[in-house]
This record gives sequence, structure tokens and C-alpha cells, in this order.
Amino acid sequence: MKEFKLLLCFIMIITLSSTSFGQLRTVTGKVTDNKDNTPLIDATVSVVGKSVSTKTSADGSFSINVPSGSNQLRISYVGFADQTVAITSGNVSVSMSAATSNLTDVVVIGYGSARRKDVTGSVSSVKAKDFNQGQIISPDQLLQNKVAGLEITTNSGQPGASSTIKIRGTSSIRSGNNPLYVVDGVPLDGGSARPNIGGAFGNSPGSNPLLFIDPNTIAQIDVLKDASSSAIYGSRGANGVVVITTKKGTSGATVLEVGTNFGVNVGFMKRFPILNVDEFKSALTKYGLPSTLNGGSSVDALKAITQKSLSQNYSLGFSGGNEVGRFRASFLGSRNEGFLKKSRLDKYIGTFNGGYKFLDKRLSIDFNAIAANLGETVVPVSNNAGSTGNLVSSALQWNPTFDFRKDNRYYYPTNGSGNPLALIDAYNDKIGISTFLASISASYKLLENLEYKVLYGINHSVGSRAANTEGFLVGYNGLSGQGNATIANSVLTSSVLTHTLNYRTEVSEDLTVDALLGYEYYKANSKGGGITASGFNTNLDEATRTNVPYTNIFQNARQQNPYGTGASPTVEIQSFFARANVNVKDKYIVTGTIRADGSSKFGSNNKYGYFPSVGARWVLSNEDFMKRGSTFSNLSLRASYGITGNQEFPAGSSSEQFGLGAFNTSNQSVNGNPDLKWETTKAVNLGLDFGVAKGKFYGSLDYYYKKTNDILFQTVAIQPAPNSASFINLPSANLINSGIELALGSTLMDKKLVTWDVNFNIAYNKNRINNFNNVLTGLPLRILTGTIDGQGVSGTLSQVITNGYPVNEFFLKPFSGFDNNKNQMIGDNPIYSGDPNPHVIAGFSTSVRYNKLTLSINTGGAFGFMIYNNTATSVTNISSIAGGRNIDRIAYNSSEGIASGVGASTRFLEKGDYVKLRNATVRYNIGKAGKYVKNLTAFVSGSNLFVITKFHGFDPEVNIDKSRGAYPSQSIEYVPYPTPRVVTFGINFSL
Amino acid sequence: MKSYKKLAILAVPILTVVTGCTKLDETLNSSLTRSEATAALGTQGTALLLNAAYTDITGSFFSQDAVFSLEENTSDESLVPTRGGDWDDNGVWRVLHAHTWNADHGQILNVFNSLNKLNFDATNVLTFKPNAKQEAEARFLRALSLYYLLDLYGQFPFREPGEDLRNAPKVYSGAEGVNFIISELTAVLPNLNASDPITRATPNAANFLLMKCYLQKGAFINRATPTFDAADMQKVMSLGNAIIAGGKYSLTANYFDNFSVDNDIKSTEGIFTYPNTSGVSVNHGGIEARWNMTLHYNMYTPANPNAGWNGFSTISEFYNTFGVNGTPTTFSSADAALDKRIGEVPYAGSTNISGLRPGFLVGQQYNENGVAIKDRKGAPLAFDPKISANMIETGSNLEVTGIRVVKYVPDYTSNGKYYGGPAGNNLMIFRYADVILMVAEAKQRTGDAAGALKIVNDLRATRGAAPLTSMALVDASNVDAPNTLLAERGRELYWESFRRTDLIRFGVFLKPWGLKPNDDPKNLVFPIPSQALAANPNLKQNPGY
Repeated sequence: MKEFKLLLCFIMIITLSSTSFGQLRTVTGKVTDNKDNTPLIDATVSVVGKSVSTKTSADGSFSINVPSGSNQLRISYVGFADQTVAITSGNVSVSMSAATSNLTDVVVIGYGSARRKDVTGSVSSVKAKDFNQGQIISPDQLLQNKVAGLEITTNSGQPGASSTIKIRGTSSIRSGNNPLYVVDGVPLDGGSARPNIGGAFGNSPGSNPLLFIDPNTIAQIDVLKDASSSAIYGSRGANGVVVITTKKGTSGATVLEVGTNFGVNVGFMKRFPILNVDEFKSALTKYGLPSTLNGGSSVDALKAITQKSLSQNYSLGFSGGNEVGRFRASFLGSRNEGFLKKSRLDKYIGTFNGGYKFLDKRLSIDFNAIAANLGETVVPVSNNAGSTGNLVSSALQWNPTFDFRKDNRYYYPTNGSGNPLALIDAYNDKIGISTFLASISASYKLLENLEYKVLYGINHSVGSRAANTEGFLVGYNGLSGQGNATIANSVLTSSVLTHTLNYRTEVSEDLTVDALLGYEYYKANSKGGGITASGFNTNLDEATRTNVPYTNIFQNARQQNPYGTGASPTVEIQSFFARANVNVKDKYIVTGTIRADGSSKFGSNNKYGYFPSVGARWVLSNEDFMKRGSTFSNLSLRASYGITGNQEFPAGSSSEQFGLGAFNTSNQSVNGNPDLKWETTKAVNLGLDFGVAKGKFYGSLDYYYKKTNDILFQTVAIQPAPNSASFINLPSANLINSGIELALGSTLMDKKLVTWDVNFNIAYNKNRINNFNNVLTGLPLRILTGTIDGQGVSGTLSQVITNGYPVNEFFLKPFSGFDNNKNQMIGDNPIYSGDPNPHVIAGFSTSVRYNKLTLSINTGGAFGFMIYNNTATSVTNISSIAGGRNIDRIAYNSSEGIASGVGASTRFLEKGDYVKLRNATVRYNIGKAGKYVKNLTAFVSGSNLFVITKFHGFDPEVNIDKSRGAYPSQSIEYVPYPTPRVVTFGINFSL
Repeated sequence: MKSYKKLAILAVPILTVVTGCTKLDETLNSSLTRSEATAALGTQGTALLLNAAYTDITGSFFSQDAVFSLEENTSDESLVPTRGGDWDDNGVWRVLHAHTWNADHGQILNVFNSLNKLNFDATNVLTFKPNAKQEAEARFLRALSLYYLLDLYGQFPFREPGEDLRNAPKVYSGAEGVNFIISELTAVLPNLNASDPITRATPNAANFLLMKCYLQKGAFINRATPTFDAADMQKVMSLGNAIIAGGKYSLTANYFDNFSVDNDIKSTEGIFTYPNTSGVSVNHGGIEARWNMTLHYNMYTPANPNAGWNGFSTISEFYNTFGVNGTPTTFSSADAALDKRIGEVPYAGSTNISGLRPGFLVGQQYNENGVAIKDRKGAPLAFDPKISANMIETGSNLEVTGIRVVKYVPDYTSNGKYYGGPAGNNLMIFRYADVILMVAEAKQRTGDAAGALKIVNDLRATRGAAPLTSMALVDASNVDAPNTLLAERGRELYWESFRRTDLIRFGVFLKPWGLKPNDDPKNLVFPIPSQALAANPNLKQNPGY
């Protein structure tokens, strides 16, 4: 209750401090854009030194009551430089010029927004016009290589593939490394209702949990990187926060925006280097293999499994508003054809928002709603295919001299490669996910400068999946001749209720105070179920197949297991938070935040955690000594310190749990730990923002040091125990991420005919684990993870989490060449062999416009890391050719003999450094066409055009989930969904 | 007054805040807290917990890489050669047979954890107010886990019911350990029910485990040179004779009926077994691994090439132990006449479906139509007894080296030769024939060689094998000498997860055989897994590791 007392005190103070306004006079005026004299709508007009403000109406006009003694107005508008004008008469006209640096931008911070120049923390903001272009399927792709220190790895080439997103390095040794996503004020739970199933071909990779957001509707994405900005999110802030703001309607005429584009997968961005048919034939000779292995034909299996079908996207948005209301509605219908045959992602998304003002604009009601339906057709690609392989391994191993069909049937060689086309044909796996994210908020101006806001948001997602493997498929134990089917479903529901009080006052001309008090309650539930059956009576023979999927006739199966269900423990988080931002003379800005988070996940002895932060900015360029003739249009120093938490561990880990198992069994399933709590990250950030030559060149330099303590860790349980592992906090252990980020931007040319913008960012991060020791025995801990899969390497692990090394350091047996018998030589004991985490990530983008033609390019790369090639280890290794399976060219060109063994070693550890041309887009802005059509634009765009790398896989930007238990892996390639090169062309216009 | 009015407005949000407050007690949704479990399940709950402890048997005793692997692949009965690209698995299989494992071996860790899960779940039953019979069953299951832990690791951790799991438990070892297990089994015997099915803890299951304890005690106390106390041997004989005299069990006429899909009906030898249901994967141990692990990829049918895993084999020296009284084996189907336990004769429900004959597989293999099967390169699928000395096969015959052993007859009941789902064979954990052999061993160890020979020859008669003309306990100069009691145990109990224990008890585990040279005495006991050692300061690493 202490928090409420504070709240009451605070309210008393602000109520008393705002009593009289004195005498007033009315000033009217108009705000326009100096470029074309068009009115600026919704610009903020405020009286300098007083908390009186208004907004311009649809024709750019305003009317404001100015207290006596005040004689200056300040006008601000997004994208334009602030202007302060003297009130010389009762009518003031202001002509605004567009900002040349991003400093005037509004940055979305937690529970509100701030002018960029008032921000004391490290926040990167990317607006729609600067987003990545080309084929964008999930929103995170909009940001790839755009933000310094934000590492976004698209895990594979699957349409809608999940991404590994890390802000400033790996800050957790568990899988809880993803940032917190906040969409229009609603924090997401980060999960997806897509049921994950395993089967004969292994576990299929997950999809991106943000797919339900239509990328066309995003206005701005803000990345809160340091503790000063993310500490307001407390125990969920340690991995940084990504705040997504959707486009809103503006006052004025209703606008209809239409966009359509078509895309084609034109081929592999990069091929896995297997032998072509001629090389394969010479290999048969080279290794003295029987001529029966030469089938006499010539096929390209990798090409045979891909398709060039046309992807289609149609979007429609209309928006409008007036002085008291605004709305926006948009619709997306898209079909993304996957690069692998049969795979597909369909999206139907409606996005609606609006805001209306009542009671003389004192009360505002805003709503946001997203309704999305995703349909996915999945092919048998998996993270952990065993000896029977999956679709990609079948294609890689396919003997290129054999035809896929023989005598009007699929041909199955007896070498165990499987037939990739039969696999595509026999496997039918459909997923449907419906997601609903909606929020409604009401703001009421209790006083001119005190606003109360309540927001309620709900996120509900339902997923179902029906997977069939038809029994005609030959060569799979337990599947062939009987067929197999799985039905699974999953439901996620989370809701949030937020109350905030926002107080903003200009105490004097030199002092502005912005304060926030809040309470939040968050609740999340998830549940799911599934059933598998085998032994069906249809589709057991290729010639007599029906169109009826097994999942429609489940009862027909001879073997069925009971329907298994489960629900995760409810997660409840209750929070109290406050923030104050004080601005003195626009020179000295200080922000302090605190959040108290209580979580049902924490043990009964540690229900509440407290997360404070403080940040300061010193705007040197506003100091008198800098102002005279300075080359700097902006020069500020920032410093911040704060504590954030991470509570991404499985709910229920602190409670002793008794599970109810199959056929009347029950046993203790979780050891329980009443002391369990959040992981704490203490972070320092030092930053420098600068702009020179009137903002023509601008940039930021940041240094950070993050130390994660109380590491939440799934420790080895002390046997006898119900589980082999249980969660504890390691108080002494710590994980350190430190690094430097540099972002540079410039408008090199800004002429009527030609404009040229350039942006560059680079970030260096270093990651180390220290004092990672067992609590009872003090012995150093060494956690092995990074499962290596495939025939002959079962149970092999490739990565280690231990003292003195970065998270997931490679730990492999050393390879020392080939012996006299041409067999590979591998040492007995593993060695520390390399870091899978990129030390440097960089992005470069540029946009050149000549008259109506614009070329935009976005490139990016990661450097200083290793990738383990699990595909080369166990799928395309040399011994496969003895049975007539294809092998990789590297093994073929080596001195290795075909009797050489299979084994994981440093031999397959490769440098991952890469530079990728993510996108190049040429856009022709036709402009007006006819009476109604405006902003007509046509474009052609290429994505993943090329990659420069020494890595011998499909794509060096890869992160197949090879986690072991609760410990994630990093940078391992294993028969992934290949990345296609995509060409997109389209037209946009508005009415 | 103006201010107060505003305060009143402010009260609205504040009230909302207050009413929104929550205590943050965790709602588990699909599991129960301890108090919920106690209250909601009542006495029924104890039965559920006991069922779960029985189900834990699946974790340790089924898979090819659990207790089976530690007991068999470390012995002369089984090994897993690396075959080109297959079965390297980072060398885990080879080091077991070569006796060069270390404390980081994954199987050594997993077995320690899974046996301790049984240990824990059985102990946990005792915190839920069990009735006398339930308590007896739980303590039997705990004793089962402790016996295997003591045998494999030389020590076992022990928690009192309800102990704080964050604290390190005490540890028993050697004589103290085996005496504790004996006292536990003795204490619970009166409360076990003789009319329970053989899938539950019956008095005879407890008596069987007691026999093992008494027989093994000398080896548990001194593994390098076991000595056998006459009183202990007497206990083995009296317990064994009581089981025999009880008349509940008899030797099964067709040896492989003990391991068939309907062994729950056909076998008369089961004393303690784990039930599996064909086609039901829930609470199923995965018994199909017992044939998949050894069968060649093409052995179900050439059109179904990945059915078998083509791994586990036995060595020719072990196979040769069937050539008793100086009659050598011929590595051909003619050997079937020596002993029914060798197999190599048609078995209904298997041979007519896939061509497979259970038992030892040597030479050319045939499908159900009598057509010779080929390997993946198109060469004849003819198993070759010779395995490379370094256990790494690199030759053109790498797919077919090693004699294969199919003890459990594949379950083809559900979908013919295509069936690859959960199989219905019950796992034999304790079998009657072992009682007979334990009694014979105790007799011989107490000087009654003639009595022992008679028991063994009676058993052999049932198995269609010639009587032994002479029988030593063991031949220390030749581990696989045929005319020994150790060899008879091998012939009867091969691939039933007892061999390492037997070799240690007979004092020959460190002797050379087949592909294994003499080795270090430290190998008489496995190391405490390094993970377990790091977690519990009361565990002491075994000497030499």
C-alpha cells in the first residue's frame, strides 16, 4: 500500500500547484509547410513557459489563450524543426521547415512518448519511410540492419520463419533472449499459438510470433536499448524493448491507399555445394564404386524441390478524421509461396484504429484492433532430423543420376536417402492461426496538464494443425505401409490493464517537468493439446490414393493414443511504476524511473522486484560557449544507469508440482524453489549524439556495459530428484555484455532534382560468463548444448556454457587432417574452438533519388563468429557416396577416402562472416494520374540478392534450433529451409 | 473546494487500481501443488504416485542406451561397431566395449539420473500416507533402483521422504549399501501380495532381488577379489528353492515364447515384468529398440530400408560358448541343433511374415518368400562374425559385420512387416531361469559341484542342449570357455542386462576377450557422472577416475 500513499501525495502536490491562470488573451494563427505552403494539421502550439497548448485544425489554423506576461509561442510538428515565435500581434502565421536531423522526432518510450532531444537513454527509432523494402513477411524484417546493436537473424528461408532477435548481445543463457514487444501499448507474451509437433522427420521449426501484424500498418518502431529507457518495463526489460506503433488516421479528407505487389522466388541465394551429375559420375570412378550406382539420368534434386510460383500481396487502407475524431482501417490479403514446393503462407489481416475526443476534447477514447488469420502449409523440414532425414537432406543426398520416377511410380533407391518429391507429395501439414489483438484506452484531462489514462488490451490467439503422412511413402519405419496423422491445437490469451497519470508542466521558461505514475496488471494463459494416430487403410499405395486426409478420418486408424492436453501455469504480473523527466533550459535533462514488479512466477520468498534507473543528457550545443559559430548543430552527451530484470523462465518453476500422467499415474514433476526470482541486469550507457553542418551529417555513438547477475539457470538437480534439472538463481555468477555502437547518417544531397541519403551503423559486442559455479560444491559449471543430429552422430553436443567464455562457445573435438588410410583424424577430447556470437554487426543503406526515380539499397553483415555445419557433418559426408548418396564438393575435393568415419569436429566449424545485399529497390514515382489517383508509384525490388561469405551452406544468416533442454544453441546449420532470392514488383497509389 | 472535487475524480482511477490488486499466487492449471495433490487425490493419489514409480522402469530398463547398454556393451555379449557413417556417435559405443569410458559419458549420466528418478518417485509415495501394501511396493521399487545404482556406481544417494530437494542427500556405499537394501526387502516382504500380477511387486520379485543381493554381496564389498560368504550362499539357495517349490513358475517349452509379443500369455517364467501394449505409446518402454538396434536396415523388407538400425552385434567368442563339450560351433544354421536358445529356426508370427528367425543371426538372411536379402549396396546380406579390431568398420562389408542377436521377437501383429509402432512384448526383468541358475551357482560356490551340474543339465535338457560333461564356475584364462557356469548364464540370459554384473562376480571383467585387452581395475565400477558429482558434495568419485 506504500505505493498508493505516494500516489496520493503526488496528486495533492500537482493539484495545488495549478490553481490560477491569471489574465488571458486570445491569439490566432496558421501553421504551414514552407515548401509548398500546405497547412500542417495537428501541429502543437504551446505558450513558452506555460502549460497551455493546442493543436492546429484541418486548415492549419489555431486559436490559443495566452496568459499575460507570456510573449512567445512554440510550434512543433513531427518531422519539422521546432520554432519559437514572438507574439507580435493577435494573429501569428508560422511557416515550418522540415527537419534535417532526426532530433525533432517523437520517440515512443514506455507508456508515452518524448521528443528525441529529451531522451536520456539509448533509443533507436525507425520510421516507415526508412523501413527495409522488398519482400517483408514479418515486421522484424523491416528493421534488419537498420539499428545499431540490434541483431536480427532470420532463422531460415521458410516463409514466416522465426527470427533470433538480440539487442546488445546475448544477455541470458536460457532461451529467454527475445526482447519484449509492445504493440500500441499492449505488451505481447512473445509466444505463438502455432502448435509444434514432432514426427518421423523431426520437429518442425517455429514461425515468427509477429506474423499477425501487417507490416504495411506500422508507422514506427522504437528499440529501447539501455536501462534508462527499458527499466520502465522492469522485470521484462532486460533484453530491451521493441515498441511498435501502428499508423493512425489524421484529420482531413479521407484517404484511400492501395498497394499490390507480386513476388517470385527466382532461385537459391546460395546453393549448398553438392556434386553435380558430372562430378558425381567422376566420383564413382574416383572411389571405385560399382557402375550400378550410375542410373544414367541427370537430375538436379535441389532445383526439383523448389518452385517459382507467384506470391501476391494486396493491401488497402483508408483513413481520415476531423478535429475530434480520426480512424484508420486497413486490410491485407497475401499469399507467400514458399521456395520449397507446396510450402505457403497465407495472411488475412484487418487492422482498425480510431480515436475520438469528447467533453471539449478533455476525454479521448482510442481503440486499436488487429484481427488476423494465418494459414500455413508446411513441408517436412525440421530442426533435428535423425538418420531418416527430412526433405532437404533427401534432396542433398539424392543420387543425381537417378530419376525421381520409374515405371509411373516414385523411385526409392535402397541407399536410405528417401525420395524428396515423394516426401513432398506424401506429407500434408496445414496450420491455421487466428489472432486477435485489441486495446481500448480512455484518457481524461483532469487538469490542463494532468492526464489520467486507462488502457485495457487483450491478445488472443488460437492455432490448429493437421499433419498427414501418407502410407504410400516407402522407406520409413512405422510410417510406410500404414500412414500417420497428428492433430494439434494451441490457445494463448494474455490481457493487460494499465492505469497511468501523466503530469507535464512548464514550471518556468527554463524548467519543464514531465512525470508519470502507473499501475499495470498483466495476465497470460496458454494451453494446448494433440493426438497422433497411425495405421490407416487408405493412401497406402501410390496408385490408389484418395483426396481424403487422415486427419478427416481419424477414427479409421488402428493405433491411437489418448488425446493429450496441458495448460501452462497462469502468469500474473502486477506492477507499479513512475517516471520523471526534468528539462532545464533544454540543456540539462534528467530522467528517473522506478518500477516494482510482482510476478506469480517468482518464488513465495521473492514476490516483488524493484527496478530503478536514472539517465541524464547534457545538450552542449545549447550552451552559450558552443552556440557561437559552432559547426555543431547538435552535440549532446548522455549517460544512464539502471537495473532491469528478466523473468523469461517457464511458469511454475518455483512451485512444487505434481503432474497427472497417462493411465492413472501421478508424480512430482517440478522440484520447486520458493527463492526463485528474476535475473538482474545492471547496465551503464554512455552516449554522444551529434549533428554537424546544420544537421547534414548526424549520428550517435554509444558505449554500454551490461552485467547480468542472479543468473536464472536450470541447474543439475541433486539426485534423487523428480527431474534431472531445476531452476535456481546463481547469485555469484554473471554474464557481461559490453560494446560500442555507432550510427551515422547524412543527407548528402537535397536538391529539387536529386536527393541522396546514406545511413550506416556498426556495433561491437563482447560476451563473457564469469563465476559460473555450483552453489553447494563451488565447482565450475559446464553446460553442454548445441545438439548435432544425423546418422552416426547421435548424442553429440557442440557448444558449452562455462566460465571465461562467451555463451555457447563451440566445444568440439579437434580435427587434424587425414591419416594414411584417408580417414579423418579427430582428437579424443573436445577443445574450446570458437565463438558463435557475431562480434560485429553492421548495416548500410542508401537511397538516391533522381527526379521521380529512386534507388534504395540495404546491406548488412555480421563478422567475427563461427557457424557449425551439421549438414556437412552427417548428411553430405563422404561415406554416403558408398551407398550412392550424393556428397558435398568439399569432401570430394579433399584427400578423404570413402571409408572415413562420421564425426563432429572442428573440421565442420566455419567462419560465418558475411555481407548480404538484403534488398535493392527501384521506385518510380509517377505522382498524380488522372483526376483521382495520387501518389502513384511503381517499383521493382530484389531481396537476398547476394551474399559474400566463405561459409559453405545455404545461408550464413542461420540459426537452427539445436537447443538441449532449456539451453539454447547459436549459429548451427542443419538441413535448413533454403533462402531464396526474391524479386518483387508492385504498384501503390492513393485516392 | 475546487481541489477536492478533482480529488474525487482522481479517486476513481485509484479505486480501480486498488481493486485490481492481486496476491500473485500461482495457478498451475494442469498440475497440482503438494497440498492440492494430497487433498484432491486422497488415498487414490498414493496409488497414482505408485503407478508413476512403476512407469519409471521404462526410463532405465528398456532403451538400447540405458542399463542394457552399460550391462551388455561393456561385456563379451555385445558391442556396437562403427559402420562407416553410422554408429560413431562420438565414440560412445566403442569406449564402453573397450572399457575406456570416463565420467562425462552420456549414458553413464542418463542411467544415474533415470534410476534416481525411480528412487525419488518411489520415496515420494511414502510421503502420501500409503497403506501397508503400497508402502511395501514403493520400498521394493526403491530397493530395485538402489540395487542397480550400487551395482553400477558402487554408491547411491538416499533421501528421507519429504527432504528439501535443494539439500544434498546422504550417500550409502559397499557393505552398508547392500545391507540396507537387504533390510528394506526383508522388511517389506510380509506386506507384498503373492496374488498380484507379475507386473507388480510380488513377494517372489522381492525374494529374487534378495537372492541377487546375497549372491552379489561379496562383489559389492570387494569387486577386485570377491569372496562369497557361505551364509549368504545358503540364503540364495533357500530363497531360490522356496521359489522353485512354490510351483508358480516353470521353464517355457519354446525359449523364444519368453520374449514374443504374447509373452504375457505364453511365458511361464516371468517373475517381474513390465507390460507393453501393442500400438499404445503411452507408458510404453519402447521394447522395439531391442530388435531395431541389431537388425540390418533392409531386414523388414527391401522396400522398407530404414526399419533396422544395423548396430548391435555379438562377438564370435561368445557365440562359440554354445559349442560345449568340445563340439565347436560352425557359424551356420546347423548350429540350431546344438541348443534351442541359439534360435535360427522358424518362429511363427515372425519368419512367415518377414523371414526373420529369432536368436543369433549368422550368414545369409532371407525374406518371407525365401529370397536372399541384399544390403544397401546390393551385396548379399550375410552377417560375418568377424569385427574389426578397433571396432571401426571401413571395408566394403561394413554393413554386415558382426553376428546379430534378436532375443525379443519383433511384434508383427498389428500391421504385418510394416509395423514400426510401439510393440506389445513385455520386458522380462526377473526371469525364473535365473532363479535356477542362481541356486546352481550358490551350490557350486559352497562346494556342491555335482548338485550344480545336475540343475544346469536339467535346464539344458529343457533347452534342447546336450548335458555338460563337466562344469567349472569360470575359466579365468578364457572368459568364453564353454563348459562353465558363467557360460551357461550367458547362454540362458544373453542380452538380458546381467552380463557385466556376472563377469565382475565371476572375477573376469578385467580379463581380455574378443576385441578387449586386459584393463584397469577402476573399471569394475563406473565413475560417478561429473554432473552428479558437481551437484552433491556427499558423493565421492570412485578410485581411479
